[in-house]
Amino acid sequence: MPQLMINGQSYYSDSPPDTPLLWAIREDLRLTGTKYGCGLGLCGSCTVHINGRAQRSCLVSLADVPEGALITTIEGLHPSHDHAVQRAWVELQVPQCGYCQSGQIMQAASLLARTPNPTEEQIVEAMDGNLCRCATYSRIVNAVKRAGEILREGPKNG
Amino acid sequence: MAETSRHTTGAGSATEPGMTRREFLVRSTATGAGVMLGIALGPGRLGTVAPAGAAEGMDAFTPSIWFTITPDGKTTVHIVKAEMGQHVGTSLAQVIAEELEVKWDDVRLDMPQESAENFAVYGLAYTVNSGSVTTEFDRLSRAGAAGRIALVSAGAKLLRADESDCYAQDSRIIDRVSGRSISYGEVLQKTKIDRKFSYPDDFKKVPLKPRGQYKVIGKSVPALDIPAKTTGEAKYGIDVFLPNMVYGALVIPRTRYASRVLGVDDSAARKIPGFVKAVQIDDSTGKCTGWVVALAEKFPAAVKAATALKVEWDAGPYASLGSADLLREYKKLAQNTAESAAWVREGDVDQALGRSERVLEMEYTTDMVCHATMEPLNATVAEVNGEWHVYVGTQSTSFARMTLTGYLAKILKKKPDDLKVYVHQHLVGGGFGGKQDYDEILAAAYCAREAGRPVKLIQTRESNFATSFPRTPTYHRLRAGLKDGGLAAMNHDIVCGWMGPRFYVGKKYGSDWLQLDAVDGTKRDIDQWSIGGSDHWYYVENQRVRAWNHEPTTWAVQASALRTVSNSYNMFVVESFMDEVAHALGRDPLEFRLSMLNGKGSSRGIPNTGYPPGTGSDYYMDQLWISLPWPKEGTWIPYESTTVGGALRLANCLRVAAGKAGYGSRPLPPNTGLGLAVSSAEERQSPTWVAGAAEVTVDPKTGKYRINRLTIAMDMGIAINPRNIEAQIQASALWGASQVLSERLTLKEGRFEQTNFHNYVPIRLSQVPKIDVEIIQSGHHPSGVGEPASTVVAPAVANAIYNAVGARVRHMPITPDLIMAGLGKG
Repeated sequence: MPQLMINGQSYYSDSPPDTPLLWAIREDLRLTGTKYGCGLGLCGSCTVHINGRAQRSCLVSLADVPEGALITTIEGLHPSHDHAVQRAWVELQVPQCGYCQSGQIMQAASLLARTPNPTEEQIVEAMDGNLCRCATYSRIVNAVKRAGEILREGPKNG
Repeated sequence: MAETSRHTTGAGSATEPGMTRREFLVRSTATGAGVMLGIALGPGRLGTVAPAGAAEGMDAFTPSIWFTITPDGKTTVHIVKAEMGQHVGTSLAQVIAEELEVKWDDVRLDMPQESAENFAVYGLAYTVNSGSVTTEFDRLSRAGAAGRIALVSAGAKLLRADESDCYAQDSRIIDRVSGRSISYGEVLQKTKIDRKFSYPDDFKKVPLKPRGQYKVIGKSVPALDIPAKTTGEAKYGIDVFLPNMVYGALVIPRTRYASRVLGVDDSAARKIPGFVKAVQIDDSTGKCTGWVVALAEKFPAAVKAATALKVEWDAGPYASLGSADLLREYKKLAQNTAESAAWVREGDVDQALGRSERVLEMEYTTDMVCHATMEPLNATVAEVNGEWHVYVGTQSTSFARMTLTGYLAKILKKKPDDLKVYVHQHLVGGGFGGKQDYDEILAAAYCAREAGRPVKLIQTRESNFATSFPRTPTYHRLRAGLKDGGLAAMNHDIVCGWMGPRFYVGKKYGSDWLQLDAVDGTKRDIDQWSIGGSDHWYYVENQRVRAWNHEPTTWAVQASALRTVSNSYNMFVVESFMDEVAHALGRDPLEFRLSMLNGKGSSRGIPNTGYPPGTGSDYYMDQLWISLPWPKEGTWIPYESTTVGGALRLANCLRVAAGKAGYGSRPLPPNTGLGLAVSSAEERQSPTWVAGAAEVTVDPKTGKYRINRLTIAMDMGIAINPRNIEAQIQASALWGASQVLSERLTLKEGRFEQTNFHNYVPIRLSQVPKIDVEIIQSGHHPSGVGEPASTVVAPAVANAIYNAVGARVRHMPITPDLIMAGLGKG
């Protein structure tokens, strides 16, 4: 069993190697911010970062996790929950029920890490795999834009 | 601070049926336990009279509902409504804070547990019908004001000031003569407050501030539940862990309902590491029929085991039923007019139709849809020292408790009163009407009994779809009598599966359910939840709605309430048909609608009667298999009618939406149309007035279409939190868009065909149109905003498609093939 390095801390899961990473994160390690929605990569609720890239943790088994991979969940996105995306999400009051929002935020953070000033088209393309049954979509687009602004403003204005 | 976190009354007799008087009590103790403001059971009925301030007497009804102020100056508002995306706690806290004059930064929320004792105090914890603000606004305003009065009085004494010289602001009492002030927290640290306000008598006399002086109401304060929803800290039912718990996964039964387990072979499942056992759920109450749950030490193992279990079923009476069969049967049933019940009857429809110059007759149908909440249904249940503890996010902790109590009473052969059941509410990861059934709780409780360990039962997405409680399919036949250039008569026949009989297993509808005249003159039960919305606000001199229940549907698909309930199909049908009538008359649909939203006859609102008497409710929940008395008074809180103004307010919304959308004045691109619709969801007695315009572009070669823009105008009386209201309207409009675009659940051989989000398709980001929202504050009593906008989108889109390319689609969802058929190219 490989160790899991999640949010800068090493963990051991006693689940079998074919266990989806999602369930190890959620139920074994109790980092419950990562949510189960569909189990087939259709909804994005379980999105985490593996080596900085957004991945559906329901589709990655423990055995698939690369040796030494750095996993980030919503709990570890920012040490004081103050990532630009989180700030924009609060500022624009994005969440409703909130269940899908960890996945939305992780997806958006991954997009902005590569594309700090995305066009609306790029935002739609990057975020289209993340379902929100409350349909907070209009605010999601605006909040991704706003998060990009916050990132570009830099820490001095933050 | 132990006392302030208690939300139960100490008196066992608090559950005594028939208590009629409640008392508002303001109390604190010199030791700093805090001010507890709440309704207490009044003296008299309990057999004891508790003098104010007598500690012994007080303990009997330790009240602490609605809010608690602690000596640290913080106010914790107790919310028994479910937080499921509407930020209801924030809105209700704003109402209290307004009159309490508490600084908003000092406000916190919590969610009391549900128990028999708390039920007697809070009343029914049930979050539906977009009704929370409407029903709570008045009493929470008065509760806040009563608290302020008590605090000002105590503060004045401490300031050695005349009470009449003092006022409250930002959690302080200020003496306007000396200018000295004292904070709420300091008051509680220094003194004890005893002040009683009887409910409802003293409540009625509590003066409320003029609405023009509102400072917190009308302010877009950030929602208190949002920050935790961006950090992973927010806790939903699925996030619960109990020591020594075991996981449960459901074996998907052969049919949605009424399969019977004949045998379970667990030989393959036993080879799965961590498998604990297979539990056949006791389904003798008609709940969880055919359910077998695999228990395992970990959830993935439970899912594997559920797949490995070989279950043999008797597939039951619905094993061959499909969606096409249902529609055929609906049409047949509608021929038998003698079997219908009349829901609306104005004038003489048959005579007026006979005298019409032309009769327009159309059929409409709608498919099933389901809630598909992002958080799948789940429940965690533990039996601890004879007490049952349920951890869940649900729309009704009260019904959850009562249903489990009834279930346990039956299967354990115990008296309901001997069972102690507690429900610990969590955030709800999407409700939409889909979290007011309790099968997971019953099954988890049964499994906990069988395993002797706490059980966390999680529906997989697949088992969640398979055990959906969908909106019924519907069939509609409409006839319009056209005469003298107008609509002289309208008949609307509706056949569907009513949800009522499922909730009322004995089919004994209580007094809150209408018994109406059937065509043959006899009284018939009628399920207003399945028919409502057809009683629209247009004034039509001769109007009739007839309804039929296709009961096999009710059971086979487990028909239930889905966001706006029957409005979600009836508004589509009525508003599409109104457009058809307008076009048939050669009139503009906007002008035609406005002419009938005229405030005459049935389109007139009910004038306010001030502070109306309470509406007691005495029906029994037959679903519970036991008869639990309903609190008769003080739990159903009277509120001002939101129908004031009637159709005239709806006409105003329509003018605003049409104007803002540029209806009739703006050039549109090719194959593009603007469509209009109005709605008065949720119910005739509790409307929120809303109008919508949709701009849609259709590709006439393929029938594919795109919703470019939605314009929604809503009159909710008073906007408590405008930014949240805008968010609720935008998002519910997209729910409506999702329904018309692509959502469809179908039945085949007694089970649903859709299994996950690839074949059940909600709206995604790339389909989202621009949405303009206009909030109209007419100043009337506030009404709910979480759902109504969803009802205008489907008909506005249907009408826009017609205006764009001339295809009239009389079915929801509107798929490209139906548009092609409407163009004669199908």
